[in-house]
Parts: sequence; structure tokens; C-alpha cells
Amino acid sequence: MFRFIVRRLVTLVVALFAISVLIFMLLRVLPGDLALVMAGVNASPERVAHLRVELGLNRPLTTQYLDWFGSLLHGDLGVSQMTGRPVTVRVAQRASITFPLIGMGLLVALGIGIPLGYKSVIARSSRVRSAMQLIAIIGGSVPALWAGLVLILLFARGTGLIGILPSQGFPLDAWQEPGKAFVSLLLPALTVGIIVGASIMRYTRSALMEQMSSDVISMAMACGYTRKQAMLHVGLRLAMPQLVSVIGLTFAEMITGVMVIENLFALPGIGSGLINDVGHRDLIAVQSELFLLAAFFLVIGLLVDITHRVLDPRLKG
Amino acid sequence: MTKPTGAHDRFDASEEPTTTENTAEKKAEKPAMPMNTTENKPSMNNVTSLDPTLQAAGTAKGPKKGSNKSKRHVPGWAIVLAIIAALALIIGGVLMAKKNSGTAANKTPETNVTIGAKLAPTNLDIRNTAGTALDQVLIGNVYESLVGRDSDNNVKPGLAKSWQISDDGKTYTFELHDGMKFSNGDVLNADDVVWSLNESRKEGTHNADVLSAIENVTAPDDNTVVLTLKHPDSDLLWNLSGRAGLVFDVDAEGKYNPKTQAVGSGPFTVQRFIADDSVTLKRNDNYWGKNKAKTEQITIKYFADDNAAVNALKSGDVAVLAPVMPTVKKTFEEDPTHYTTIAGDDTDKYVLAMNNAAGKVTADKRVRQAIRYAIDHNELIAAWGNTDKPLYGPIPSLDPGYEDLSSLYPHDEAKAKQLLKEAGYDAQHPLKITLTYPNTYGPELGDMLRSQLSRVGIDLDVHMVEFSAWLEQVYTNKNYDLSLVDHNESHDIGNWANPDYYFNYNNAEVQKLITDARTNPDEKKSNELLKQAARIISEDAAADWLFNFRATTAMAKGVENFPVNMNQTFMPLADFTYTKQ
Repeated sequence: MFRFIVRRLVTLVVALFAISVLIFMLLRVLPGDLALVMAGVNASPERVAHLRVELGLNRPLTTQYLDWFGSLLHGDLGVSQMTGRPVTVRVAQRASITFPLIGMGLLVALGIGIPLGYKSVIARSSRVRSAMQLIAIIGGSVPALWAGLVLILLFARGTGLIGILPSQGFPLDAWQEPGKAFVSLLLPALTVGIIVGASIMRYTRSALMEQMSSDVISMAMACGYTRKQAMLHVGLRLAMPQLVSVIGLTFAEMITGVMVIENLFALPGIGSGLINDVGHRDLIAVQSELFLLAAFFLVIGLLVDITHRVLDPRLKG
Repeated sequence: MTKPTGAHDRFDASEEPTTTENTAEKKAEKPAMPMNTTENKPSMNNVTSLDPTLQAAGTAKGPKKGSNKSKRHVPGWAIVLAIIAALALIIGGVLMAKKNSGTAANKTPETNVTIGAKLAPTNLDIRNTAGTALDQVLIGNVYESLVGRDSDNNVKPGLAKSWQISDDGKTYTFELHDGMKFSNGDVLNADDVVWSLNESRKEGTHNADVLSAIENVTAPDDNTVVLTLKHPDSDLLWNLSGRAGLVFDVDAEGKYNPKTQAVGSGPFTVQRFIADDSVTLKRNDNYWGKNKAKTEQITIKYFADDNAAVNALKSGDVAVLAPVMPTVKKTFEEDPTHYTTIAGDDTDKYVLAMNNAAGKVTADKRVRQAIRYAIDHNELIAAWGNTDKPLYGPIPSLDPGYEDLSSLYPHDEAKAKQLLKEAGYDAQHPLKITLTYPNTYGPELGDMLRSQLSRVGIDLDVHMVEFSAWLEQVYTNKNYDLSLVDHNESHDIGNWANPDYYFNYNNAEVQKLITDARTNPDEKKSNELLKQAARIISEDAAADWLFNFRATTAMAKGVENFPVNMNQTFMPLADFTYTKQ
């Protein structure tokens, strides 16, 4: 286990370095730059040139890269040139919306997905099974935007049929008003949960189906378990590692994936922040944010693998 | 809401020994927080499971290993119960929150009002960052200019209570108000004005070009500022009412971060700024003027999504939407008992630029004319919400030199076809042309133009690009056939006199007329010259002006004194109040 983790950590560092180069190069291919954006449509070319010097955009690319990567090594993500705020502060501010949203969404998704997925395998009646199947397909093919709009029409304060929940914005005092902050995330989390829940349901179903046809279940049934018991006690347990991988990766994916939802509910989260920063060509901010995301993805992947091993002793050796 | 329940649960669990009923109840209450349940009891698996069903399995296994039929039925009803409980909690909580917020006294103006806008500022550095979002929120609220501006785009007194212009138009003498202060308590006098103007000129800050006529700025005494000009400049006074004339605190310079903070002399201060999300203005209690802000705190919240904006006004989270987009404004127009919707006049020109550079197909005047004849502006406007005004030349009605030029290029498809034929295009050799415009304007305008132009046989290829990409490809490299951008700046006809501008329009006569107009100290004559220039530009079909955009403002009943005209660039909020009805 120890060797496994060390090996994975080394790969992670190498991958991060490669990613930093890749991010830096790809962003430099984008047309337009921060100086143009700041100068706008009535500025003289001299003013643009002046800004470029001021922002350090005229320096050689290698210097720019080394400057950035050097500070990264010191744990300094830099300062967004457009907003004048440190990238860490901005990311933290946006993460304080996105992460709770993902967390709540995932809880809803698991609450819906796993029981339904389980039910869709275990149900005796084929009608129930196909109904479940239908739910999974519908849930999986509904666009997030549309699901959000329907929920808004149903529950949004002011417009909805049962208008009880706020449908846009995040309280200015953020989590200093925990009640308000929490309530403002309910509708978006529900939207996310429904969409992701459908995919979790499909994963649960296919993982369980796989177990169902395996000898393990037959063995358990031979030992006196009913089919249901066998699935519950043995099947689910064996399907768990697979589900944990899926959940881990879903979580990572959702960081930028919930952007559509964040926009719909006017929540200034990580995804929309990234889009804004790219739009402004605030490259120092963008590259640091992308780097953080990449690092996060890799770490989640590592954690998933470790959990996988802990959950499934058969992987040892 | 689930959180406190979870905490409470854990408390319970430590008080009394866990029983099977207890566990079942817990499960019933909150399938959403399975982590806590698992913590409550030594888990059977050494895994913290995320799955309620699995816990049910664990629980079932707990007491004894044998099967227990009644236990296996738990999931079904437990989930239903849990959902009901959760819903009850949510509804209860929200209703309570609603009640609390409803206790505010009626019929007195709100002290804390939120208004919705669209284009968000990314920083507060109004001296260096382009974009009207900054003008909208900061000018007249946080920063003040040497002279002010009224809702008809005319100059009025600002920090200067009066001014004299010498007969030759080359000396401006401003007399400042007495006892002016910045929000930080620093005195605002002629020194700050001189420094601000000189700093702009020296550093070449955003929009500083408009001060190019100034030779010298002096302060003979604390309340007098004298500008000496190289040549008369008829636009100078108006320009001083905008960004170029803003006065900053010389003593605070370098002591604050202009990107995240603002030190001005206006009736408000910036209390909080969240980039791309909101700006909160707080009344400046030290405001020097008589006209103190009537509302204590105003938050301007920016909505990228138009539906979110609509929901915000409908739910009462914002009192005003400035603007409400044409595609979604209907919902408020249909409910006049609760909302007022007004379209304000503005100087936004939706310019369909045609690359006039030699070598481009649009260098042929007949092609440009054909495009102008082919476009049915009234149809465009009708499809675009029916609030905008047609505009057939480079000067909008709020700017000096305006003249109705609608007779020049009326919609006439036959004429368009005729001109195309003369230029050598027909059904066998159709004119193929590209339109490149920023995606912030949405696909509708491009689609409508494509279908209108196709009626005369022009094959329009529409490219929507990111604004930054547009800035490079079209604005800087001038690599385009047709382009579409909202030029919302007022008094910007000068761009047509600049052959290096992305229009690539080079007409010596126009350049002379515009220069003469600018340097003519007589306002009437100056406007007459601008009128002539505008007519020539339009006759030349240098571009097409799709319409003069008018932003629609939607307000809840009870909103008073909200600026409607030009509120996308200038939105003074000192008199604004909102009384909940």
C-alpha cells in the first residue's frame, strides 16, 4: 500500500508539471489579450501598447512561464491582473458556493440514485423494472437547464406554483448567514441531484447487474440467503468499490459541470468564474485556476484509487 | 436544514443507548445525511458508507446475523417519510424566514435595496479599464466629474458650480463649490482637479485622448481651475462630464487598491465589491452636497442569465431591472399593476460595420449600398422587442448634430438586387460575405440579417466569436467583411474621422468637417458641421446602423426617481427610493 501511494504521488507530481506547461501554452494560443480587453473599443493603439508593457504581456513567454511556475512552487498562485485580488482568495470565495452545492447535489443524487438503482435490479415485477429503467433514461436525457427551469416554475419564490424557495443569487454575507445561504442552494442542489442521480442510478444498476449474474450471489443463495438478502449484503458490498470510483469522479466532474446550473441560479461559482476570466483573458488567474482544478482532479483520482483498495481487499498484492 | 437535525441526532445518540427503533427513526428523518448515522454506532463494515440502503443492511445485520423480515421493509416507507419530513422542514423554515422579512414597517422607504443589472464590472479601476459597467455604477454615485450631466445628455454643474469660456474658446475657467470633501474626509479643492486632469493626460489613462486639446491646467486659487487649450474643442465640456473629468483624491493615491476599492467624493461609497457579481453602495454621510443619498444602502447585482434576472424581480429580490432584456420583458409589461416598464433613450448604436479597406468586397460602394437597402430595419426592431429606434446615420438623437436620415436608404430589395447586379453579382455568382460579431449579442441578430440578406441573393456566413477574439481579429487586425457591435459611447463620431479605426473609412472631407466641428467655438455652427459629416458618412454607406438601442427598465411599484434615460452608462442613484407596496 505504501509503495503504491508513493508511486502514485511521483506520477502526480510529474503530471502536474506537464499540465502546467500544457495549460500555459494552450492559453497563449487564444486570440486577444488582457490589454485589449482593458482598453476597449475606443482606445488608441498606443494605449494598448502601454497597457501591455504595464501588465508584462510583452515579456518573453519563457520568462512569463518561469515567473508563474516559480511562484506556484512557493505556493503562490499569483494575483488576478484584472481584479487585483489574489487568485487564492477568489477561488476560495467561489469554492464556498460551488463545493457546498456539489456536496448537497451529490447527497440528493445518492439518495435518489442508489435506492432506485438497487430497486431496478431487485424488483420482481418486470413492470417495475422497466418503469425504473424509464426513469433512469428520462433523468439522464433531461438537460440540466430545463430541469432547473421546471423546478423554478414549481418552487421559485415569486414565480413558482409553490413559491417558497429563492431561485437566484447567493446572500452577500455568504455563509455568515448560514440559513439563507443554505436555502439559496436548495433548488440548484435539487436540480443537480436529479440529473446526477439518474446517472448514479444507472451506474448502480449496471454494477449490481454484474454482481447479480456472478457466482458470488449464487454462492450466497446456496448458503441460505434469499435473493434479496444476497444482493443487499453481498452484492451491494461488492459493487461498492465501483460505485465509489464513479462517485469520486462524478464529484470532480461536477466542479465545472454545475456551471450551467450556477448561471441559471445566478450563483457566482467556480465554473462561471473561470469562463469570465477566460473571457477577460486574465491569463494569470485562468492558468492558476486551471492548475488548481487539474491538481484537484488528480488528487481525487488518487483518493478514489486508495479507497478502492481499502474497500476491496482482493486488489492487494 | 438537515444539518441541525443531524447534530441533534448525534446528541440524542450519546444520551441514550442506540436501539433498533431509534436507528430506524433516524433513517426516516434524514436519508440525505447518512454519514452521521454511521458515526452513531460502531460500523459493521470499516467503511463509512455513503449509501443509506447499505446502512439499512448494516443495521439489519447489527442485532443478529439472521434474517429479519420486518427490517427489510424499512426502506420503502422510511424514504417516503423522510421526504415528507424534509419538505415540511424546508417549507416551515422558508415560511418563517418570509415572516421575519415581512415584519419591516410598511410605507416607509426601504433602507436597503437591491437592483439588477446585466454587464458586471470585473474591477473598479475606472481610470484604466474599459466597459460601461463602471460608468454605470461609479460615475455620479461614487466619483464625480468636474461638470455633471443631466438625463438628456446635456452638461450641468458638477463639482464646478459655474464656468466661463473665453470668446476664442481657448480658456475655460471653472469655479468650484466650497467645502467639498472626499468620502475619506480629505478636502477636495482645485489641487485635486488639476492633479486628476494632469495625471490622466500624463499616464494616458482610459479615454484620456479626449483631453488632447488641453495645453495647460492651473489652479490660481483653491476654488478656481483654469484650462488653457491649444485650439477650441466643442466636445471638451461634455467629455469633462464623463470619465475624463473625474476628480480623484491626490492625497489618497497609492493608499488604496483602485481595482478593489474606490475613494471618491460622490453621495455613495463602495461598501463591498464582488467581481462579476455585485457592488454594494453605502450612503456617504459626509457627502459635501445638499443632495444626500435617500437610500442608505443599494446593492447592484449582475445577472448573466436573463431568466434569473426576471425571477429576481418577480420574487422581490431586486426592485429594479436596468435593463430587462427585450426577449423577456413581456412578463412585466403584461402586469402593469405591479411593474412599470419604460424604455429609456440612449446613445447605443448597433453598428453593422462594413470593411471599407481596399481589396474587400465591401470596398465597393454598390455592395455596401445594396446591403443597406436589403436590410429591413423595422422588421429587425420588431423582432428585437419593438423598443429600439431606427437610426440611419452615425449620430443618435441624444448627441449633437443629429438629423433624421431615414430617407437615405429606405428598405428596397429591388434596388439592392439592381446594385448587386451592377457590381457583378447575380444568381450564378452570388455575393458571399462573412459577418463576425461577439457572441454576447446572441444569435438572433445574425440569423435575422442572414435571412434578410438572402432575399436579395447575398449569402451571409455568420461567425460569432468571443469578445476578446473580436477585439483581436476585427478591432485590431481589421480582418473582417461585416462586423456588428453596439457602440454605446456618446459623442463618438470622431471614430469616422480616424482612418486607422477598424471601420477603415477614409474620407478627407469627413475628416475635415469633424475636425472643424470640434474646433469651432460656436456650438450651433459646430453642430451644423457634424450634421453634414454624418450625412456624408451615411450616404457613403460606410456602415449600416441597425438601430438605436433603448434599454428597457422594469421597476416594481414603489420605485421612485430611478434614472431611465441612458442608465446603461450613467445611473445616478442619490434620489432613488423604493417603498414596498
